[in-house]
Amino acid sequence: MTDTAQEERAVTPPAPRPPRKGLFRRRRAQSGPDQNALIGHHKLTPYLLALPAVLMVLVLLAFPAMYASWGSLFATDSIGGEPFFVGLQHYIDLFTDPDFLWSINRTAIFVVGCLVVGMTLATTFAFALNKALGGLRFLRGLTILPYVVSGVAAAVMFRLLFNEDFGWVSRFLALFGIEDIGWFINPTLAMFVVIVAQVWTDLPLAILLILGGLQTVDPTLLDAADVDGASGWTRARKISLPLVTPQLVLATIWFSYSTLTALGVVLALTGGGPLGATRTLPVILYETAFRNFETHPALAIVVVVLVLNALLTLTYFMMGRRFDIGDS
Amino acid sequence: MAIETPTEKLRVEPPPRKRRSPLYYLRKVFVWVPLAALALWTIGPVLITISISLKTRGAVFADPGLIPADPTLDAYRDVITRPGFREAFLNSVLVGFGTALLTLVIAVPAAYAFARYRFRGRHLLLLFTFLPRLIPGLGLMVPLYRIAVAVGALDNRLTLIVVFTGTILPLAVWLLVGFIQQIPRDIEEAGNVDGTSFFQRIRYIVLPLAVPALFTIGVLAFREAWNEFDLVLALTRSTAARTLPYELFLITTGTGLANNPGQAAFAILTLLPFVFVYLRIEKYIVSGLTSGSSK
Repeated sequence: MTDTAQEERAVTPPAPRPPRKGLFRRRRAQSGPDQNALIGHHKLTPYLLALPAVLMVLVLLAFPAMYASWGSLFATDSIGGEPFFVGLQHYIDLFTDPDFLWSINRTAIFVVGCLVVGMTLATTFAFALNKALGGLRFLRGLTILPYVVSGVAAAVMFRLLFNEDFGWVSRFLALFGIEDIGWFINPTLAMFVVIVAQVWTDLPLAILLILGGLQTVDPTLLDAADVDGASGWTRARKISLPLVTPQLVLATIWFSYSTLTALGVVLALTGGGPLGATRTLPVILYETAFRNFETHPALAIVVVVLVLNALLTLTYFMMGRRFDIGDS
Repeated sequence: MAIETPTEKLRVEPPPRKRRSPLYYLRKVFVWVPLAALALWTIGPVLITISISLKTRGAVFADPGLIPADPTLDAYRDVITRPGFREAFLNSVLVGFGTALLTLVIAVPAAYAFARYRFRGRHLLLLFTFLPRLIPGLGLMVPLYRIAVAVGALDNRLTLIVVFTGTILPLAVWLLVGFIQQIPRDIEEAGNVDGTSFFQRIRYIVLPLAVPALFTIGVLAFREAWNEFDLVLALTRSTAARTLPYELFLITTGTGLANNPGQAAFAILTLLPFVFVYLRIEKYIVSGLTSGSSK
């Protein structure tokens, strides 16, 4: 960036100084026809070009977040009633509400479960794909298949897959004499199915991230270790894995971000059941806002989700930085 | 880079092995088993869904095989003739292409500004990459719903297009900036010398060279709009703007006996637009995705 800037400065001939007769005069001189021919000459051009995008992001992302923070401090007596200021009352209510605390508990289990299952699978698959040569390269293309499947469609697929009567998972387990498993009746198993389905939809990005990191690992390092007699396992663990730490951290961030805010899969697969076993924060947010129409408490939940998400991201960035420093 | 070349050559021609130790085959297993698992994991659920979509309701229970004994397209016909599906499909197509178009129209100038100019506020680009990670779609559901109600924009396809563009824009701009920076500045300066205007440079130099990036971003934006569920749930009320994921969700949560082949067929139909572009886009998507996420 700095290089190109210096280059630009070097290439740009010094503009002839216009007669200093006020701001207007000077600007006119700058926007003359031949000025247009030089990149970045008119001062306003970059601002005008970037304005629509910046405005749109601010209005559609930043403003709603601020709106949520502000709106969560108010309450209404009835739906559509006049809002009045209540301060942090909604937050106090939330954190003394056993339902909400339960959903925090469920969210924690869901996110950690997805992280463990997801990162294990992503790392294994990425290492294997890195070794896939020749005709097996098509597998790399296959990997992104879940990426084009919407969360709801994935939920439909996994409901069929885990169906008690004709689901392939149940039939496979029946071969070992394990029968009549109520995947969507048993709270623990339901959580497991939801985790698997969510990981399925999120895995492609994580695999590709880690694979991208593995492909930048200097092969001479691995060859050197090979000569020194290190086994494949040792090489993977002691050389490749530390070198892809940044990608592992990014994949972890991606998983926690995606699972903390995952609504489609959970809602379409279990709807929060059985017995509230999968009532994660997104589900309770949806129910509060769009089933009970309690907008202001829902805005407080939105803020909790945003804060949790920011905290998680921050934590991983700190961890990532520490690992990077430790390595170098 | 120069040092790497001889090593590369060495690696291409390994000394011929005469006897292969059992360890060699063990190593192969360590690669083959995860690869087979990956293939099964990725394509298994989709294949089984396709299989079920080709059966009748009864055959789902009676004929559990992967390849249906008596394949039928009844489920697809039922889904397509179902009230609500056509509207939802049309909405999805319009919103998808609308989002792709609007994203490109807004992202290209912004990316050009960020890539080519040094100006105050250029560091907003960093904010661009962080905001969507900090403010996920789920967090936008309720505030945007409230705002849409306030301005009377609820249940409108245009609202969806604008909102989806806002959520995909940061990634689009980020990807495009990287791409435009790779286009040599010299070409544009040569154009300057020949007297092209600013818009001519964009139109005849930058855009043609950026076609792969534009295609990638168009597909990413389309996918975002096509598969988005949370915001559709919040911002639509009727078939006027409801897109496919919401329609599918309504079917699955409907009361009564589950129509398994119907749901399966619906789920497969939502993948339809990607069938045509999948092989072409795979390469671009992969590079776009990874570069976008790893920053």
